[in-house]
Amino acid sequence: MDTIFQATDLVQRRVEFLDAARAGCARLRDKDGTSLVMIPESRLRWLQSIAKWASLHLRLEELVRRGVMPSVTDLGELAWLRALNLDDLREFVEELHEALVIASADESCVPLDECVRAWRTTARQLEDSLRRQVLLGGHDPDDFEEVGPPTGEVDEDLERLPAGGISDQ
Amino acid sequence: MTNSAYDPLRPARRPGGKPEARPVYRVLVHKRFKRHYEQLVARVGAPQAQQFWDHISTNPGEPSPVAATCILRGRAGRPQDEGWSRTYHYEITSMARADYQFNDQYKTATDGDPHPVVAILTIDYSSH
Repeated sequence: MDTIFQATDLVQRRVEFLDAARAGCARLRDKDGTSLVMIPESRLRWLQSIAKWASLHLRLEELVRRGVMPSVTDLGELAWLRALNLDDLREFVEELHEALVIASADESCVPLDECVRAWRTTARQLEDSLRRQVLLGGHDPDDFEEVGPPTGEVDEDLERLPAGGISDQ
Repeated sequence: MTNSAYDPLRPARRPGGKPEARPVYRVLVHKRFKRHYEQLVARVGAPQAQQFWDHISTNPGEPSPVAATCILRGRAGRPQDEGWSRTYHYEITSMARADYQFNDQYKTATDGDPHPVVAILTIDYSSH
């Protein structure tokens, strides 16, 4: 049975209170009857992450069910997904669901963090039109050239090189 | 002779020495990003450029001890043709990233010898 500490225990039984918190949860009944708990920060982060992504998952699932690509306004804080298409979005919803189940079972944020990071990276790579064209195209051997290890030779056009790629070749 | 090096019960050594533990990948770069590749050392510095090269030419697809990597998701992560891996994203530095796929049995012609290659699809130097 969990111990319920009193406000005065924060002085008299401080070590015992902290040990309970470190072990997962320490409950304290304040003088006005309010129930307070102290938990490890990692556990709080996990709970917040599960709550946030479970809510966003439900919303996204509903948007995808409409069968059309949601607008940026619909996506709200998930507007970074705008570079994806509806099929990608469906795949994200499925993977997010799986990550939520694993994160919940493992009591860890890692599956969610990894899932969201990979999809964010993908969306960012697809934002640029040239990268998008190459990443979503098929393999054509004529598009590629063999190269050796990188050298330190500086091209005179360095300053004019666009960040995304060269689109005029 | 009592001190001969010849031991009739000991097998001869393998011709050519020990096989290499890992294949070495030939590296291809998409022509649209060839100039970006040529700027790699100038953009990120020789050590990071070399680490990227070492990674893709020896063990593409494996986690890097020095750089963040992940597999792209959705359509962008799918193999571009039969035999190719999914698309790997490698963060060379905070200002430089590359996407690549690899193929352990790549053939340039139908009757050609299969050999391992890495294809660098994109390189970008934008900041996040």
